[in-house]
Amino acid sequence: MNCKKAGVLISACVDGELSLSEERDFLLHLSECSECRGEYEDAKKTKMIIREKIIQFKAPETLMISIMQLTSFNTKEHEESLLYE
Amino acid sequence: MDKPDPTRQAKTRTIKESLSREERQKQLEFQREAVVHLNALYNYSLHLTMNPSDAEDLVQETYLKAYRFFNSFERGTNCKAWLFKILKNNYINRFRKNSKEPGKVDYDLIKDFYHSIKDTRNDTSETDSDYFHSLLHEEVYQALHSLPEEFREVIQLCDIEGFTYEEIANMVESPIGTVRSRLYRGRKLLRAQLEEYAKKYGFNNDNDNDQ
Repeated sequence: MNCKKAGVLISACVDGELSLSEERDFLLHLSECSECRGEYEDAKKTKMIIREKIIQFKAPETLMISIMQLTSFNTKEHEESLLYE
Repeated sequence: MDKPDPTRQAKTRTIKESLSREERQKQLEFQREAVVHLNALYNYSLHLTMNPSDAEDLVQETYLKAYRFFNSFERGTNCKAWLFKILKNNYINRFRKNSKEPGKVDYDLIKDFYHSIKDTRNDTSETDSDYFHSLLHEEVYQALHSLPEEFREVIQLCDIEGFTYEEIANMVESPIGTVRSRLYRGRKLLRAQLEEYAKKYGFNNDNDNDQ
C-alpha cells in the first residue's frame, strides 16, 4: 500500500470502518511510514476535538412536554371510553 | 328497531378497547424508542437552523411525523437514525428553500447564536468564567460551520452523533464510499481551520512542548 491509498483510509480507520483486509494493509503501511502515522494521529485528535468541544444542549423543558403531549393526544379519549366498562 | 342491540354495543366496546390498548402500546414504545433521542435531535436541529425557535418547530414536526408513521419504522434498526432522516427531510422541505446562500459563513451570526444559546441552554456544569474553554468551544463550532455543508453534515453525524457509515449513507442518500471520502476530506479541511485558530492562540505545539 502506498501513501496515497493509505491517506484515503485514514479517517475510516479512525472510525473503525475499514474492512478486515483494508485494516490489515493499512496498519502494515502505518508501521513503516511515519508520515502517515502522523496523519493518522492528527485525524484521531480532530475527531476527539469535535466530540469534546461541541457543546450539547439540553432540549428546553417546554419542548419535552409538548413532545410528550403530542404522543399521547389520544389517551384521554381512550381512557374515558375505558371508564364505561 | 330503536332498541339498542346489546351484542352490537359489546362489539363496539371491544373494538374501542383494543384500539386503545394498541394505541397505548404504541405510545409506550414510541417514548422508549424515539422520545429518548430528543436531546440529540434538538441539537442537530439547532445546528441546521441556527435558531432555537426554528429548531423547536423542526423537532416538533419531526416527532409528529415519526409518531404518525411509527409503524413503518423497521423494528430492530437504529431509531435515532430513522428520526434524523425525518428531521433532515423536514428541514430541507421547510427551511432550506429560503435560507441564505450556501457556502457563505456568517461568523457574527454564529458568534451571537452560540453565545445567546450557551447562556440559557448550556447543560454542562462548566463555568462561564472559564474564558479559554468557552472560546475554544466557539472556535471549534465556527471551524465546523466554515465547512461546506456536505462535509459538515457527515462529520456531525459521525463524530457527534456516532452513526455508522451505513446509517449516514442512508441518511444523506449517498453511497458509503462517498460518505467515507467526504469524511476524509472534511476532516482535512477542519483540521486546517483548527490549526489556524490554535496558531492564533499559540497552543498547538503538541510535538515540541507539552505545557
